Amino acid sequence: MSLLIIILGVLANVTLVLLLAPLFQGVLRKVTAQIQSRQGPPLRQPYFDLLKLLGKEDIESGQAPAMQRFAAYLSLATVLTLAALVPMGFPAPLSGAGDVVLVIYLLTLSGICTLLAGLAAGSTYSLVGISREMMTMIALEPLLAVAIVAGAIHTGSFRLDTVLNGSVYAVGGFPWSGLILLGAMLLSFQAFVQRVPFDISEAETELMEGPLMEYSGPKLALFKYAQMAKLVIYGALFVDLFVPWGSALAFPFGWLIFWLKVCGLVLLVTLVAATHARYRIDQAIRFFASLLVVALGALILASYGY
Amino acid sequence: MTARERLNQLKEKFGPAIQRADLPGDTRLFVYVEPSSLKAVCQHIFRDLDARYVISIGLDDRPVSGQFLVAHDFAFDRDHLLCSVLVYLPPDHPKVDSISDLIPGANWAEREFRDLLGIEPVGHRYPKRLVLPDGWPDGVHPLRKDVPWNQVPEGFDEEAEFKFDDPPEGCTVVPFGPFHPTLDEPAHFRLYVEGEMVRGCEYRGFMVHRGIEKLAESVLTYNDIPMMAERICGICGCVHNVAYAQAVESAVALRLPPRAEYIRTIMLEIERLHSHLLWVGLACHIVGFDTLFMQSWRIREPIMWIAEKISGNRKTYALCVIGGVRWDITPEVKAELRRLLDKLEAEWREVVAAVSKDKNIQKRTRGVGVADKTLVKNAGLIGPVARAAGADIDCRRDHPYAAYDRVDFEVITATGCDVWSRVVVRMMEVFESIRIIRQCLEKMPEGPLQTPITDELPVGRLGLSSVEAPRGESHHFVITGENNRPHRWRVRAPTYQNLQAVPMMIKDQQLADMTISLGSIDPCFSCTDRLETIDLKSGASRVWSQEELIRLVRKA
Amino acid sequence: MSLLSKLRETLVCLKAGRVTLPYPAQARPLPEKFRGRPIFNAAKCVGCAGCANNCPAREILVVDVCQEIRILQYLGRRCTYCGRCADVCPEKAITMSHEFETATGSIGDIRQRLELFMSTCQRCGRCFKEPSPLEQLKLKGYRFDDVQNERWILRSRAYLQSEPVVDDIKIELD
Repeated sequence: MSLLIIILGVLANVTLVLLLAPLFQGVLRKVTAQIQSRQGPPLRQPYFDLLKLLGKEDIESGQAPAMQRFAAYLSLATVLTLAALVPMGFPAPLSGAGDVVLVIYLLTLSGICTLLAGLAAGSTYSLVGISREMMTMIALEPLLAVAIVAGAIHTGSFRLDTVLNGSVYAVGGFPWSGLILLGAMLLSFQAFVQRVPFDISEAETELMEGPLMEYSGPKLALFKYAQMAKLVIYGALFVDLFVPWGSALAFPFGWLIFWLKVCGLVLLVTLVAATHARYRIDQAIRFFASLLVVALGALILASYGY
Repeated sequence: MTARERLNQLKEKFGPAIQRADLPGDTRLFVYVEPSSLKAVCQHIFRDLDARYVISIGLDDRPVSGQFLVAHDFAFDRDHLLCSVLVYLPPDHPKVDSISDLIPGANWAEREFRDLLGIEPVGHRYPKRLVLPDGWPDGVHPLRKDVPWNQVPEGFDEEAEFKFDDPPEGCTVVPFGPFHPTLDEPAHFRLYVEGEMVRGCEYRGFMVHRGIEKLAESVLTYNDIPMMAERICGICGCVHNVAYAQAVESAVALRLPPRAEYIRTIMLEIERLHSHLLWVGLACHIVGFDTLFMQSWRIREPIMWIAEKISGNRKTYALCVIGGVRWDITPEVKAELRRLLDKLEAEWREVVAAVSKDKNIQKRTRGVGVADKTLVKNAGLIGPVARAAGADIDCRRDHPYAAYDRVDFEVITATGCDVWSRVVVRMMEVFESIRIIRQCLEKMPEGPLQTPITDELPVGRLGLSSVEAPRGESHHFVITGENNRPHRWRVRAPTYQNLQAVPMMIKDQQLADMTISLGSIDPCFSCTDRLETIDLKSGASRVWSQEELIRLVRKA
Repeated sequence: MSLLSKLRETLVCLKAGRVTLPYPAQARPLPEKFRGRPIFNAAKCVGCAGCANNCPAREILVVDVCQEIRILQYLGRRCTYCGRCADVCPEKAITMSHEFETATGSIGDIRQRLELFMSTCQRCGRCFKEPSPLEQLKLKGYRFDDVQNERWILRSRAYLQSEPVVDDIKIELD
């Protein structure tokens, strides 16, 4: 593809993610409100929230203001780069620029941004928050990595467009490993997108927002945007890996079906978030550890061709 | 055992040490002892006779008897008896033997009369300042009769800071409050944390101390105080309103018309309903389960509307005057209340059925914030916290007041001693409250709402009253005085006792469980801090005597 | 099982529907006994100062300007809307209205001031002297002849120098 098309594709993807992320957040809030018997904010509310935050005074506080700035920019930047790498109904514009390992790396990097944010704040609560975030990351990222590697094993390559195309099911017979991995990912999806019952590192009532404590104004807007966009990106990744049916149709049908599937996933996330209490960190880590063992079992099955 | 038998029992054991005893009825006993045998008497009552410790009260009685007075209140729950052990202390450098090594629950009460009255508890293990602000000068004790109610004393240092204790080895300090999203009211818990486990904590509270008791003694009159008492707490205001009125009525032996008693019962139970439903929602919010929070508050809303219909306000009912109540329950309101209770019961049954099988909430609340029976006895815990540990105490049954002796209800207990048991106890108490209100609506007789009071209330009478607030026992101590106001009024809210046990409840638990453990005692810091000092500078500092103040405000 | 209980909880929620009230777009109907701002009716008031005696917050003050004119002021700053004034008024001159949206930036909006012409004896033309009931009550009311002493609750020292707190209440004496 020529350079111009690549650039246009990147811009299109990034804009799409930027526009859709607050909309999905709005849908999430509205559905949660309906479940809670109340009216809830209008669907456009997250857009207003972000605009309001962007318009506020940019205060720098905490132990290391430079790190604070860096963490905020980096978080949104990593997520937007991911937007250009993950196929969303059509092949990713930058798919030639890297492989699946790059995707895993960028996802981990976006988690590290929260750690940097908490370190920059330097208060007791933010440090407790980032220690929880670290524990969660250590337990969680391998899960995604295992799923992607299983896909890579099946298709025999690490290329983005091959792996992120339902590759976990790409075996001759019944895709045992694929289904087991689907189950494991579904159960842990809430943790990836940082919603109840697994939003432990930012538990408002316990830790006063944890790592993001010192953030306000435009920098908080960047972090919030990154969080909202992560929902879209993870949703897209999940759909690409585990629910690929229908996306191969011609544009625009394949594209529409893709986004419908992501919508469905967001609704599922909302339902689970609205009906559960938050888990404690040790309970959550135990849960992820057991899921990891199951996923590793699936990986072994995958390497044997099941 | 009756009150007279208990008194004889004490007289047998302690003989001449008991100087005087007042037995105003079958349910109240006031024993005046010699200061030197106070500790032995309290030890006997608390340990040997197995009474429950309620509160310790200090009083500046110098205008009347020329001495200071200290009272220790105990409750014999099985005998339906409230007992007060009083000692007189000499006016210069008053000292009294501390009972806090025998009764750990007396810790705060003794520190409080040390701060506010200057009565030194000798032998107290932790005599740190509790109530007064850090910059307050030594030697000025606000509740003494010669200290004016509306002046900042000389030497008040605004810049003084609280001196924290040193944390134990290997622990980091995690500050909790005074500003924290979970807490509605300011309090400071200084947690000593090792990794994720809490190893200990230090508490600094009383930041919104309002000086209510001093105001009641200096400025307000008997019928003004119920309005003030109601504002001690936003959630259990009616309880304080009723408890104060009952304490005065008990002091002067005033009988209420029966309809007034039933109406007080109904309003108290309405308050219990609203408070428990609020708490269940709050506990779920603390563990991150906002949906159940919204649902229990939705179910609670009609209770607020009916309270508004009956009393004119959703929460501050302004119900009592001395001798009766101010609002009546008309037949339309009765019918509406009955409908509301049916609907409430049906909806709450669904919620309870859903929550009791919910493993998700139970995982966060089982085994957390444990307070076992020994802690309940030593610290004098009351309310759902004690009932969840298996202690069968409830003032409505043990010290009946208003119309509770004429209705049937059960006292809900559980044996888990943890937060989940408290959730269950409070959820089931909702059904008992509904049952009580239904019985009251049926049995309520017609009649007047207030007893007319034609003479001035006699001076120098002591009155005790214990009312079961949603959080536990709320105990008021009143000594009637001159000029149409009490000589001393002491409020002991239930959170005052329960808070003292929080450091033990959160020890060796996870940091994440701190908030739900604190929330499970249903803390009402406004009740705890009900003495707030509205100290204001009038420009010139001057010591006003009581006569001068009275003359000033009544200048014609 | 936990999943079943979650479904049951969701059913409870969905059955209830949406309960958000459209306030403030639509006013909420208030019950009759609702205790809002007290309204003083100067035509019915006889100046007994019973309300002033019984206000727990000491927000009703009386002053006698001359032998025949009494001024009754309801200041409304600390009013707790308890309704004791309405209870004790012998002429039912005080009603607890249904107004609760009384936030304002200027205290003059809440203040109510009544100028009352006191009765005089038809024979001698003087105002009733003690020990008539009116005089007796007058002795117990909270008076503010002297503005300095009218400031019952002074503001905390942390914020204030020595100016009077409420300096926009001017007592017009004619």
